[in-house]
Amino acid sequence: MTGRTVLPHDTSTVEATVRGVLRDVLGLSDARAAELRGDTPLFGAMPELDSMAVAGVLTEMEERLGILIDDDEVDGEMLETFGALVRFATDKVPQ
Amino acid sequence: MIDHYDWRGGREAMLRFGPDAGPLAIIAMPLFDDANRLRAFAVSLCRALAARGVASALPDLPGQGESLLPTEDARLDDWRAAFSAAAAQVGRNVHGVALRSGAVVDVEAALVSRWRLAPIAGAAVLAELRRATTTGARARGETVAVKIDADDDAPMLLAGNRIALPLFGALADDDAVAVTVGVPLRTLRMASDPLPADRKVEGAPLWRRAEPGNDLALAALLADDIAEWITRCGG
Repeated sequence: MTGRTVLPHDTSTVEATVRGVLRDVLGLSDARAAELRGDTPLFGAMPELDSMAVAGVLTEMEERLGILIDDDEVDGEMLETFGALVRFATDKVPQ
Repeated sequence: MIDHYDWRGGREAMLRFGPDAGPLAIIAMPLFDDANRLRAFAVSLCRALAARGVASALPDLPGQGESLLPTEDARLDDWRAAFSAAAAQVGRNVHGVALRSGAVVDVEAALVSRWRLAPIAGAAVLAELRRATTTGARARGETVAVKIDADDDAPMLLAGNRIALPLFGALADDDAVAVTVGVPLRTLRMASDPLPADRKVEGAPLWRRAEPGNDLALAALLADDIAEWITRCGG
């Protein structure tokens, strides 16, 4: 059996992981995923990230980062930009 | 080919692929919305297996897929009985291939071996449905209820699926995926999944997408793995 993968915990790898989640869950091309910047707007601006996709993004983030996201923590703010989502994830990852 | 199988509760549709003789796999589809997301992929997988000389069967569960039984009448023990009946009817030495929560359903079937892709237990299935129900609404600043009315016996409404309380309870309590299965077991996961597996494969988890998709390269890669595994387990 291959054991547990070591989970990322520093900001640059958290960012890379969140970028990968968006790419995989939203079906973005590598090029589009690479273009995501801190101020890139997400929910409400990116057509692929609709209400149904949000659930998949959050669950995939939980799995890859080893975090738990409570329903109460989900609001428009943490989904507003790529940077906001990365900051949210970074704050939750054990340091 | 569109075939059917009979179980104590009636008759359901079943797709058949590949040669009439030789190694045979029965595919356990995941439950609820994951089935929609993985349907095209599962068929691609069956076709890829057929190209490798492995026949396969893809049964509908009562209350899922094309079944005429309303979702709210579905029960976990019925799903297991139906799947077991399908496995008994398709052949004598049948190998199991379970996709995601399909691993919850095929546990009672008499199978020679079991191969699983990213298995998930019943409680996690419900958690994802609950999240799908509430998360989008929260992101828009709305609230949403998961029950459809105040009647305590009424089915839950999760991501558009009417799930009767007995089914909800059975899935919430189910531990079958974690128990020893008694036959050779092989588990694959996506490379991004940190849980243990016999092999990790590159690719996006199609069950996490909002829209159904497909991945022919992944289907081919998994078909190679399954075909080799079945050969090692006696063919």
